[in-house]
Amino acid sequence: MNWDRRAFVKFAVGAVVGLHASPLIPKLMDDSAIWTQNWNWVPTPEDGALAFANTVNPATGTGVKVRMVTGRLKGERLIRVEGNPEHPTSKGGVLPADASALENLYFDDFRVKTPLIFNKDTGMHEAVSWDKALEVVAGKLAELYKAGQAHTVAALGTEAKTLDGELLSRFMAALGSPNLSFNVSAADTLALAGWAMAGEENLGFDLAGANYVISFGTPLLEGFGAPVAVRKAFAGWRKDFKHTGTLVQVEPLASVTASQADQWLGCKPGTEAAVALGLCQVLIQEGLYDRAAAGAVGFEDGDRGPGFKTLLAKNYSPGQVSQISGVPVETLIGVAKAFAKEPKAVAVCGPGGGGEPGRLLDFMAVLALNALKGNFGKPGGVVVRQPLGLKPLGEAINHAGGKPRLDGLGSAKRPVGVADHLSLAKAALSGNPYKVNMALVAGGNPAYSAPQAGVVRDFLRSVPFLVAITPYLDETAVMAQVVLPCGTFLESWGDSLAPYGGAVAEYGLHRPLIKAYEQVKSQGDVILALAAKLGGDVAKALPFASAEAALKTRTAGLGDLAKLAQKSYHVADKPAYGSVSFKTPSGKLEFFSMNLHNLAVKLSGEGGMGKVLKSLGVSAEGTAALMPHYEPPAALAAAGHGRLLLAAVPSLRTPKGDQPLTPYMLKVLDGETLSNKDELVVEMNPQTAASLHLAEHDRVKVTSQAGSSDAIVHLFAGAAPGMVFMPVGLGRFAIANAYTMGRGGNYNQVAEATADPLSGLPVWSLTPVAVTKA
Amino acid sequence: MTTHEQGQAKRSHADWLLFVVGFVLFSALGFWGTPALLYAEKPQPFQFSHKVHMEQVSEGCKSCHSFREDGSFTGIPSMDKCKECHSDSPQGDTPEEKIFVEQYLNKNKPVDWRVYAKQPPCVFFSHAAHTENAGLDCAKCHGDHGKSESLRPYQYNRLTGYSRDIWGWNILGLGGPPKRMKMDSCADCHRENGVRDACFVCHK
Repeated sequence: MNWDRRAFVKFAVGAVVGLHASPLIPKLMDDSAIWTQNWNWVPTPEDGALAFANTVNPATGTGVKVRMVTGRLKGERLIRVEGNPEHPTSKGGVLPADASALENLYFDDFRVKTPLIFNKDTGMHEAVSWDKALEVVAGKLAELYKAGQAHTVAALGTEAKTLDGELLSRFMAALGSPNLSFNVSAADTLALAGWAMAGEENLGFDLAGANYVISFGTPLLEGFGAPVAVRKAFAGWRKDFKHTGTLVQVEPLASVTASQADQWLGCKPGTEAAVALGLCQVLIQEGLYDRAAAGAVGFEDGDRGPGFKTLLAKNYSPGQVSQISGVPVETLIGVAKAFAKEPKAVAVCGPGGGGEPGRLLDFMAVLALNALKGNFGKPGGVVVRQPLGLKPLGEAINHAGGKPRLDGLGSAKRPVGVADHLSLAKAALSGNPYKVNMALVAGGNPAYSAPQAGVVRDFLRSVPFLVAITPYLDETAVMAQVVLPCGTFLESWGDSLAPYGGAVAEYGLHRPLIKAYEQVKSQGDVILALAAKLGGDVAKALPFASAEAALKTRTAGLGDLAKLAQKSYHVADKPAYGSVSFKTPSGKLEFFSMNLHNLAVKLSGEGGMGKVLKSLGVSAEGTAALMPHYEPPAALAAAGHGRLLLAAVPSLRTPKGDQPLTPYMLKVLDGETLSNKDELVVEMNPQTAASLHLAEHDRVKVTSQAGSSDAIVHLFAGAAPGMVFMPVGLGRFAIANAYTMGRGGNYNQVAEATADPLSGLPVWSLTPVAVTKA
Repeated sequence: MTTHEQGQAKRSHADWLLFVVGFVLFSALGFWGTPALLYAEKPQPFQFSHKVHMEQVSEGCKSCHSFREDGSFTGIPSMDKCKECHSDSPQGDTPEEKIFVEQYLNKNKPVDWRVYAKQPPCVFFSHAAHTENAGLDCAKCHGDHGKSESLRPYQYNRLTGYSRDIWGWNILGLGGPPKRMKMDSCADCHRENGVRDACFVCHK
């Protein structure tokens, strides 16, 4: 045997094969991988004790449990948000928005961690101390106040009736400015409809108790009220794969809700209310209505003119409604009969797919259908939520300085309804009767989320001094001269009220579970700090040491705050069943709304009432104008002639309103929402697309008078002809959120809002658009 | 067959022997050399007999390794737990107990035991979920540790810093607990028993 080249090669090959036959290589590879995980600069959670804390996400109404590691050297860390099985309505479920809340909390680049002031020279925001920031903001407020210009300060809040909303309202009232607006929602419309017909602003739908539900154009399973609670109610109708409850969906798109419903009534756009009135007429002509409803004001003909019964017979026979809505006559009759037959049946109105507040007359039509069913106060019907007994933060303040509101709310121009960002922005941009010198955006992100976001953005850009109180360096904050950091719901005090349509009295409370960033305060604390710095009347109106102290005052009727905060919610055991005592002027249910009538009379004198109602956008005449009736949406008239109607496609996988889109949400979106990672997908009926010479995956531009968005066409036979359906929640452009910036287009940017007849609220469910090949 | 050809055939057989030698030597290096090089030992502070202690207590492992009121696991017993039985003078006559009493108990200094089964910091492990809810025996994962008369050497991986018990004492990574506690062992058991094995069930 010679030790030559050949021998060596054989030995070496043997060695290599032998080495590979041993576990050395896989073992070392595994260890090397673990070694890289243990490099000292790789963050690893430290050991600590596990703890859980309850809280409620005010954006979704979900009761959640937050898992945290405590006792770490680097401080506590929240590690997971999961459902709270003990929460009476959400029962342990969560939404993507809840589950990914920590992505917002710990998103360093996107969070505002210290007060920031915009430096004109560098074009950048610079970190300053709280003292300095408050001094600058309070200084500007004091300057305007002293110059008698306090009314030129506008504030844009999120929700009026929460703690933060009340603090902001008191702040503005004490400062002497009437120009305060909030996000509008279906809750505002339902409150108005309830007030008009039942004298009750606190109505809810007992979905969990119902076994037959007709949803009129609402995204019932895709973002209605507290979506988890609604989903749980729906799960109750589908127990053990048996349909114990029936869901009928009325809308022009075969949406997620429609696809999960037992019956889909694919109506023409904007005609849901006509379908509701058609069902009312079938109930009456078939003698299937609740005889108690006959005693309601305006049901029969009277001195004022024809009653609701006559109105229905005249204008909403199944044949006429079929003409209007495209729903076959026999379907209308079948659904009405089934609705009448089921003991626990309810008709539901609600937000539009893009979170629109809905149309007042549509809501009144749905309440009328419930009234004819006779389900008010009954299990599975329309219920009145009991008041929570929250205490006011102090005596009402009334020295707005006599200046009129910019948006005309409360005047003959807009007698009812609530203040909204768009109306404020439009009025402020016109500069009539005065200009806005300073704006304070508290908690929200109207530059992205307000209807016709472009107009609101133009307004905020035009304001000489803009202050944003926000957790995020979002689309609004980047325009602000001063940005004040406030916490997410996981790190601050605050509360939330019963979600839209909820059947039981509900109150959610969130408290700081963690101090993730040293300088971040609760939004309430920021307002209080500003008030204290400003002194005078404003400080007197807000004499609280902290947001926690203000909450203590507010929740005095609900027991000890510390205990309530630990539990995080107060929810009534069951809906308040029993006969409803209507608080209308007549003390009865009113098909002819005396509340609306009295208001119109007050504005005009009996003779000119028709004129007043016309100016408020009501085209019906006589008694019909103040009864539930169908008014075709303004957008319908503008459609046709090559123009399509744009409507929103809601999803639980994208956030609602002001909430940021999280990276997690992007991961769970499907190819029918975002294509090629960042291109928005719009759905169209194949015939409509063919008439525009468009094919699947064509790139298009969807343009309205408000704005435009690029998109990819997806053909879908379940979309009503003549329409284009666009997902909501995308199209973010805040640079600080690198994950979501530039993904898709913003529905709010394209949608065009019109004033709803009577309520004057902006509605943007349908927008005439041109769809052209890009 | 020419002389040259005969030489070639002889050569080939001899050379193949070299292949076998190379194979055996280097696979042996992989099998026996790797653990010897990769794992280092640290001594335990002093010896300890689980067997002796088990004979004295009534509730088995749980007598010392107990759950707190909130359900979390105490792991290594605290000095207070030891003091429930031990006083400031040794009860027996072993040198180990003398060390314990003099150097730790009397000074109220916790013993820095090397923990064989310590999991990496990126995961949660709930003992309550496994022993109380699922009813697993401690021995299912820890083997006969509770019957041992002395503490075996604590070996750790020089590269990863983890206890050798995690990869398992078999260098091939075969077997499951008590011989091995890698992620796949956890996942296998979860799957076999129909328990969720999603990432966040264990990972922080």
